[in-house]
Amino acid sequence: MVGIGLLVGWAIDSIAWGVTLALGVELARQLSSLHQFGEWLRNRNRRSPPDAEGLWGDLISQVSRLHRRKQFHKQRILNLFRELRRSTASMPDGVIALNVAREIVWFNRKAAELLDLKRRSDFGIQIASLVRVPELTRYLEQKEFNTNLIVHPRIDESMALQFQGVPYGEGQMFLLVRDVTRQVQLETMRKDFVANASHELRSPLTVISGYLETLALDDTLPDDLRAPVLEMRRQAERMTAIIADLLELSRLEATDEQVVGSQIDITALLSLLCKDLQSRDGDRHALEVRIESADGLMGDPGLVHSAFWNLLDNAAKYTPIGGRIMLRWWTDEAGGHFSVKDTGRGIAAEHLPRLTERFYRVDAGRARESGGSGLGLAIVRHVLDRHGGQLEIQSVEGEGSEFTCHFPPLRLAAVAKSGASGYAPAQDS
Amino acid sequence: MESADLSQHISRRFNEDLERVRARVLAMGGFVEAQIGKAISALVEGDSSLGQSVVQDDLQINAMEVSIDEECSRILATRAPAAGDLRLIVAIIKVITDLERMGDECEKVGHIAARLAVEERPANKYREVKHLGRLVQSMVHDSLDAFARMDAQAALRVARMDRAIDEEYEAIQRQSITFMMEDPRAISRALDIMWVVRALERIGDHAKNICEYVIYMVHGKDIRHVKLEDVETELGASG
Repeated sequence: MVGIGLLVGWAIDSIAWGVTLALGVELARQLSSLHQFGEWLRNRNRRSPPDAEGLWGDLISQVSRLHRRKQFHKQRILNLFRELRRSTASMPDGVIALNVAREIVWFNRKAAELLDLKRRSDFGIQIASLVRVPELTRYLEQKEFNTNLIVHPRIDESMALQFQGVPYGEGQMFLLVRDVTRQVQLETMRKDFVANASHELRSPLTVISGYLETLALDDTLPDDLRAPVLEMRRQAERMTAIIADLLELSRLEATDEQVVGSQIDITALLSLLCKDLQSRDGDRHALEVRIESADGLMGDPGLVHSAFWNLLDNAAKYTPIGGRIMLRWWTDEAGGHFSVKDTGRGIAAEHLPRLTERFYRVDAGRARESGGSGLGLAIVRHVLDRHGGQLEIQSVEGEGSEFTCHFPPLRLAAVAKSGASGYAPAQDS
Repeated sequence: MESADLSQHISRRFNEDLERVRARVLAMGGFVEAQIGKAISALVEGDSSLGQSVVQDDLQINAMEVSIDEECSRILATRAPAAGDLRLIVAIIKVITDLERMGDECEKVGHIAARLAVEERPANKYREVKHLGRLVQSMVHDSLDAFARMDAQAALRVARMDRAIDEEYEAIQRQSITFMMEDPRAISRALDIMWVVRALERIGDHAKNICEYVIYMVHGKDIRHVKLEDVETELGASG
């Protein structure tokens, strides 16, 4: 170009003008290329890249390659996203994505249907502000989500929804919602059935026991009938005990609300329990009671008595004659604790997790001989549930077992007695 | 939208304060909703311990009101909010008063339910009270939804429900009078039921108030003591 300029300049006798003219033409060409390039960049999705040569052509082909690659990835991500949305929409459970502040980021169709959420307005609102169930607010405040929550959310009380939190990332979470109305109804029916059946069985059984009682006391009873009648009487007694336990369990199951109750004097309760056991078993076991705290317990006296008695009764049943049973009550920062330790047979580790199930037997044959109902520990667990407590079981086979009831600190009640200090140190060890 | 406004503050802390206090109002609302439900089922099912627990739990509602009130005063004093934020705070202060009154009405119902539980239930098992209770419950629920979504249209719709509740209330009143005239022994219970339906009707009125505050908050218009039809035409013209 500059060569042509020189030539033209020589021809018109002014080299400077010639070069200037040539540079001007070159500049105009470059600018028009730049303009075209800019024009294309602005509308790159609709137009094909302009033809150009040299440096511009190179640049344009580079940029258009980059652009094509980006378009390709974008389309792929978009497809993936659509696919994801379609698949979650068809999920049978409701899914809600929540951010750290528990605001709704996204939800699927089922969640909208179950919780009455509106797609247009509800993003960014805290979930607890729309699903205003006090239990859910409390559930979302916790750090770990190991449990489910079942609530009756709407005005329609019969509907039951199950919530489950699944945390991910840094504080975000998914909230899964499931309609469990049917399951809850079935569970209620089962509880009602157990309660009704136990209740209905009680009256005929009372009549049978009554006659057997009279028969057993009858001196004119032939000797060959005496043993069967006594056995029948024993089995009838066992059945009565099972039914009494079933009724107690269904009463406990009727509600899972925490009991408020009144103040229980542990010292008095334990001495009563020991007296009961001794009047039944005599001196078969050495009983040892250690009360290390003067604090009482806030709870339902009847329920706590029944739970403690079941533990003591179990210990007595599974400890051979001459064994020792230790009762201990103590308090610390973690709350109040009551333990029953025996020197009985102990329980193998594989049975421990299932021990509080109804009718679960470690050793079916022997347990029946002892006359238990198989419901004792289930009752203990329910009583503790209703008091916010927990049951801990430790056992070494052949050495003995220790059952400990843990009560939270707010269940403790200081006994206002003059002279009794709040905390008495342990005597030994 | 108002919710978009909330995110525009330069001070993030201010946003968080407003969001938190709003969430607490709605949590209190949820608690009141649960109380209404419990009070009604305590009466209908003759569950005296449920009635007692409603009476006891009212203390929690009172505590919530006091603490939200303090929080609002603190925001007013330290942040000096203006325009939409100021309206939000003012509306919240009013909403919690109404919620607390609703709680008091529930307490009354719970009290009467606990007392009536020992008596035999009437043949119709309080069907009409249950029906009125449903209406009131859904009205409270929808008014709080409108508050959560800052939805003035929905608020207006809910406010209109109050008329249905008033009609139901009057019908039960007439029915109770008939019962009392037929059988003087039923007077004492009929009077108690009158108290219950009166309390429920009042709860409906409080829910209507909440709807009015929502409209005030969104549009900046005070629609108290104005006919609903006039409000509708006005909002229709402006919106």
